[in-house]
Amino acid sequence: MSKTLNRRDFIKTSSATAVGVATIASGITLTTFAANANENPVTNAKRWGMLIDTNKLTEVEIDGMVSACQQENGWGGEVHSTGDQKPTWVKKLKVKDKATGRITSLPLMCQHCEEPPCVDVCPTNASMKREDGIVLVDKHLCIGCRYCMMACPYDARSFVHEDLTDQREHMPRGKGTVESCTLCVHRVDKGETPACAASVNSDAVIFGDLYDATSKINQTLKKVQSTQIRADLNLNTGVRYSGI
Amino acid sequence: MYRLVTVLMVLLVGNVFAHGHPGHPNLGEEASSIKASGKIFHTDGLSVIRMMHPEFLNHKRDKTLREGVRTKEGSLKGCVNCHANKDKKTNQYYSVNDKDQFCSTCHQKVSVSVDCFSCHRTTPRKGTK
Ligand code: HEC
Ligand code: HEC
Ligand code: HEC
Repeated sequence: MSKTLNRRDFIKTSSATAVGVATIASGITLTTFAANANENPVTNAKRWGMLIDTNKLTEVEIDGMVSACQQENGWGGEVHSTGDQKPTWVKKLKVKDKATGRITSLPLMCQHCEEPPCVDVCPTNASMKREDGIVLVDKHLCIGCRYCMMACPYDARSFVHEDLTDQREHMPRGKGTVESCTLCVHRVDKGETPACAASVNSDAVIFGDLYDATSKINQTLKKVQSTQIRADLNLNTGVRYSGI
Repeated sequence: MYRLVTVLMVLLVGNVFAHGHPGHPNLGEEASSIKASGKIFHTDGLSVIRMMHPEFLNHKRDKTLREGVRTKEGSLKGCVNCHANKDKKTNQYYSVNDKDQFCSTCHQKVSVSVDCFSCHRTTPRKGTK
């Protein structure tokens, strides 16, 4: 028992030193520290978000984002599900301007609302929002009632209809529970960007901390015109679009 | 009297096997080599991990999902990666929850069934694919 305590104390001391170093040294050290800081609970000092510029994003890139997500999270290989039953964490959507006929394509996934309707309706607290704004399903508590799927204005959630095997280590998935885009929380917690954003080689998709005035996403949002899909619902989404 | 002693001895030996002493028959690839090297992983002692692992796992589960804490302690990925056995002939991993594999031996005995592995991988990670 005392051994554990000692070890914990050791970890505490060593991370405290790391903070010290980080404050003296440059911002790079600071980010490195943040990437290793998984011992500490996430806080609401951050709010993760994504800005998608549909003018810059090509259709091929959108398809690339979808397959990057499938590859990363292991969905899309379901053989017994048909049509609407097939899990879809992110999809390519075409929006048409009725007046001009202009068609815009965009990737649509969980919008990581600040006021998520899925969380409001969940009877077991499985639908949840982390302090840093990432909306998740805690599948351990999910009873598969699918109220959240009905409540989501973006049709962003899926239900797993079949037994699965050989899941990704970092993304357990199984029959009878609801799932959706996690903003690649397992990568974000390591200081990486979501797989879809990483798959795009331009700044057509920017991932980052909406609150951080020095972040690219914050600065870009201050400069360019952008919108939230169904902004009329006042959900204050974390995923923003420009060019639509 | 001798008979009684024999009975006791048998009981004792049976008990020893039930607890997997001197070695759990199916400790797993990595765990076996750690043990062979004389290192100790579960530093609180074997009786603690034997008895308390459901609590550790549940605690860790909430910490990871709800708070984003991703340390190694109590991680289910960790148990699987360290405690999975290999089929020596095919060089393939068995699922940790297959019959008589590490996460099943005791559970079979005490009639516990865990549903964790309907979602969680049962063999060590293969990278992203
Ligand atoms: C319906 C699917 C599902 C089932 C069943 C399930 N889990 Fe999970 N579990 C998840 C998901 C999803 C995560 C989140 C993974 C992440 O964010 O890295 C997770 C994460 C965890 C974690 C933290 C990550 C790690 O590997 O340490 C633990 C611990 C855990 N689960 C334990 C359990 C235990 C114990 C059981 C069985 C009693 C169980 N889970 C059953 C889906 C499931
Ligand atoms: C890095 C490797 C490693 C990880 C990770 C690990 N273990 Fe172990 N575990 C061991 C070793 C080595 C032993 C054998 C200790 C001995 O026999 O002296 C062991 C023994 C055990 C035992 C006792 C077996 C017996 O003899 O009855 C249990 C139960 C156990 N582990 C459960 C778990 C669980 C549950 C997890 C995940 C939370 C886990 N272990 C994670 C290495 C590991
Ligand atoms: C040394 C024997 C032993 C080994 C090995 C073992 N378990 Fe257990 N496990 C038990 C016992 C006994 C219980 C029932 C405990 C109770 O009900 O308090 C249990 C219960 C559990 C539970 C809770 C089940 C429930 O429904 O409450 C989980 C989860 C679990 N074990 C996971 C694991 C995993 C994962 C492994 C493999 C890494 C493992 N166990 C290996 C003996 C063991």
